[in-house]
Amino acid sequence: MSPRPEAPARTRRHLLTAAAVLFVLGLTVWSANGIGVSLVELFSNLGRMGRLIDDSFPPAWSFWPRLIKPLLETLQIAIIGTIFGSILALPLAILAARTVSPSRPLYWLNRNIMNVLRTMPDLFWAMLFASAVGFGPFAGALALTVFTVAVVSKLTSESIESIDMKLTEAVRASGGNWLETVFFSVLPQALPQYVSYVLYALELNVRASTVLGLVGAGGIGMVLNTQRTTFQYDRVTMIVLFVFLVVMLIEQLSAAARRRLV
Amino acid sequence: MAGSPAIRFRQASVVYPSGVRGLDRLDLDIPHGDLVVIVGLSGAGKSTMLRAVNGLVTITGGDVEVEGRSVRSSRGKALRELRAGAGMIFQDYRIVRRLSVLQNVLVGRVARVPTWRQLIGMWPKEDVELAFDSLDRVGLVDRAYVKAGQLSGGQQQRVGIARALAQKPSVILADEPVASLDPVTSRRVMEDLRRINQDLGITTLVNLHFLDLAKEYAERIIGLSQGRLVFDGAGGDVTEGDFAEIYGRHMTADDVLEAQVAL
Repeated sequence: MSPRPEAPARTRRHLLTAAAVLFVLGLTVWSANGIGVSLVELFSNLGRMGRLIDDSFPPAWSFWPRLIKPLLETLQIAIIGTIFGSILALPLAILAARTVSPSRPLYWLNRNIMNVLRTMPDLFWAMLFASAVGFGPFAGALALTVFTVAVVSKLTSESIESIDMKLTEAVRASGGNWLETVFFSVLPQALPQYVSYVLYALELNVRASTVLGLVGAGGIGMVLNTQRTTFQYDRVTMIVLFVFLVVMLIEQLSAAARRRLV
Repeated sequence: MAGSPAIRFRQASVVYPSGVRGLDRLDLDIPHGDLVVIVGLSGAGKSTMLRAVNGLVTITGGDVEVEGRSVRSSRGKALRELRAGAGMIFQDYRIVRRLSVLQNVLVGRVARVPTWRQLIGMWPKEDVELAFDSLDRVGLVDRAYVKAGQLSGGQQQRVGIARALAQKPSVILADEPVASLDPVTSRRVMEDLRRINQDLGITTLVNLHFLDLAKEYAERIIGLSQGRLVFDGAGGDVTEGDFAEIYGRHMTADDVLEAQVAL
């Protein structure tokens, strides 16, 4: 038998593990103190929570016909945001793919703008557009458009960077220009991924659009907010149930479609 | 230019950004209609030599002329024109598996058809006709509307040949066209290349690894070693001693296609 290598020293790794555990522990204590986590408060208020649950059940079943219109509006916000955002995202994704982008400065600029866009949560954009174009579903659709551009262009540009670049050489060897190279070698390879990301964005947007109303950007969230502020918890329960059903349904459909794509 | 050869290498050198020397002061004239096979070890500069002809690599010294036109000084539109005149065939086919066979062959027309027509799929009738003619030459007309990915390796390579033909090229550059194929299919593809060379008179440059195939199909054999020309002679005249010189060692079973068949 040939000689085995010596096992690496263990002390260093043990020390690192211990340091990491201590660090996480410290973080937890610091955060808990900061926000006043208190078990006493939690248990002493259990009664109030019980009353809330009492008020919330049974759900106000008869309330559902009044939910259909705002819920459709919510879906429409998500659909418009997804479609507009995805159309804008495709050219941006191509420019943001290092291996395909025709110019270095353009690539760099695009990448950084995308990163900034993505840092902002969708509710922030909704508030911004609600102030800019007025409260209502249009503000919500604009917010989701920006959100979709950020998500889809980032994911798609990464897919484009992982395609087989040898194929682009074949189009260039035939005398193809940049656009023809993109059209005949980049897009055919990246399109299935792109469509899958668009469906994924639709799922995210349907979920996001249900709460956009909380900041005045239209849809069922606005109804939810009204009922909550007037303490009609049985109606709130009905809304939550309804939203849950619809979101689940759309996610299942979209996920099934995506599985068939890739 | 009637007087100039199809391709002329004039002290052509290629040094890659990494410092690797791909081609070293190559001087060579290739007359119209020749079928020339280039042999040499991998890394000897065979691929670089072909890619210097259509400007896919940057020529850093000397020049290459195709039909009297300088490759080195061609940019933008002029370079694309030059590439359109030279059909290229690749070892790994480089066809888009998701597109149909016909669409792949139409890629050979990109430089001749306005971009907007391509983007909306409105190819002019005569270009579609030309694509079908090209498919006919490699015997694949019946597969025109099949997805290219569904074809066998040999068929995919023939789609690659049809794409090059659709360019109506004056030159065909075949970079190890049979290296990924089995012996029988290899011969079929080499026959196609020879037939096209003879029927259409297209000047053809082929990189080959197998020496017996080179001897069988080449009118002229060029030997490269470390980017330099080390052999230049008629296909029939090559001896084992010549190969030993090009390869820096004696022939082995790996260098001969027939031996692969026997294995």
